[in-house]
Amino acid sequence: MFGYVRPPQDLPEEELKRFGRAYCGLCHALGERYGTAARFILNYDFTFLAILLSEKEEGPIHHGRCAAHPVHGRERLESSPALALAADESVILAYWQARDGVEDHDRFHGLKYRGASAVLERAYRKAAKARPEFDVSTRCQLNRLAELEQENCPSMDRAADTFAVLLQGAAQAVNEPVRRRVLEQIFYHLGRWVYLVDAADDLKKDAASGNYNPVALRYGLTDGVWTEEARQSFAATLDHSIHMMATAFELWDFGVWTPVLETTLYTGLFRVGKAVLDGTFRGGGNKRETQEKNT
Amino acid sequence: MNDPYQVLGISESATDDEVKRAYRELARKYHPDNYHDNPLADLAQEKMKEINAAYEEINKRRSGGGRTTGASYAGGWQQSYGSGGSSSVFQQVRAAIQMGDIARAEALLNNTGDHNAEWNFLKGAVCYRRGWMDEAMRYYQTACQMEPNNPEYQRALNLMRNGSPYRPGGEPFGTLCAGNPCLTLCCAYTLCNGGYCCFI
Repeated sequence: MFGYVRPPQDLPEEELKRFGRAYCGLCHALGERYGTAARFILNYDFTFLAILLSEKEEGPIHHGRCAAHPVHGRERLESSPALALAADESVILAYWQARDGVEDHDRFHGLKYRGASAVLERAYRKAAKARPEFDVSTRCQLNRLAELEQENCPSMDRAADTFAVLLQGAAQAVNEPVRRRVLEQIFYHLGRWVYLVDAADDLKKDAASGNYNPVALRYGLTDGVWTEEARQSFAATLDHSIHMMATAFELWDFGVWTPVLETTLYTGLFRVGKAVLDGTFRGGGNKRETQEKNT
Repeated sequence: MNDPYQVLGISESATDDEVKRAYRELARKYHPDNYHDNPLADLAQEKMKEINAAYEEINKRRSGGGRTTGASYAGGWQQSYGSGGSSSVFQQVRAAIQMGDIARAEALLNNTGDHNAEWNFLKGAVCYRRGWMDEAMRYYQTACQMEPNNPEYQRALNLMRNGSPYRPGGEPFGTLCAGNPCLTLCCAYTLCNGGYCCFI
């Protein structure tokens, strides 16, 4: 589910560095709050979550060494309430994603996920205590999704709505009403977009394994192969969600984060969506690998 | 009122042309068509008012306080759902959508047996507000098929089909366009068109 939101590589150097500081800042916040094991859940998607939840200014920057950069060290953002919130929510999302993996796979293939969720178990209990509302809504949406999977629901909007509402809950802790409304809208459609892109990326795999895939059901695809009509209609529905994110984004001042967010929303997401539709996005288990290669 | 130059994102030394360009770019961004049926339309409308006021203020100052040029994008915000309804249930649905009470609008529609063109159109509007874009599109299409000459339904469908009218720099907006330098090709078979219709 994660690994699709990433900053375009042609961002100016300065902005990539800024993104890097947020990435390292979130990694540090995860380590500080949940111990080293929790740092492994870090990804670009959660960094975006952190950036969207951040204040307009970057705040103090710290230069330090870590396990991944032991010699020269890296610049990172100092801990802040936004990073703490993003870290807590990331742990909850990663844990439930891992649990979802356990349920979805047979005993042997579920091992990888089972291992991940055992490591995350302790971190999760702490995060759930810190953000009980987000935890409850996350569970509730994953239950809804499990029901829809069971009944083989052919509505991709309905299936995507579960992950969209789940991610929307990440804005619950924001107090300022206008900012909360803007973030809720961005998170909803980001969740919808991620869910649909993930389903599209898994078309072939799900066709082979017989797993639930709402995109295949919606368009009646056989063997996970697109028809031209379905491909266009699907691209249009992805564009509609990006449009909703972009129009929400324009209604709030994201300060220093504006360039990285703007480029991601107006360029980055389209590229990922197109790569997935063209089959050139290295999907499935290689998502993380591709992401790291691009770092 | 905030500093009008700041609102338009320009310095006081900007030329009249630069003022006009900055205003047009912002007006394009917050244009009602860009926020049609959008749950955040009220916030965009506020932005638009602020931009119009800033533009008028700058023009007033520059012409010595005498002449005012009316902002060209003053109107267009009446996304009224109050018109067209034939039955009283549909009137209630329209009122609920207008109020932002999507759950009520949906409950009313689900209790209505007659799924005519207007029902499909309103169902589309409800889906759109909720972010169920695929179903919104399908209901709008059905409404237009049932009543091809209805301008209200056609407008809703066209706004969805034509994609986003705004993108910084006016580049094409769309998944199938991404990384594709050939604008004409991409216009021929997808929904991104930088704001001009190619689909109707």
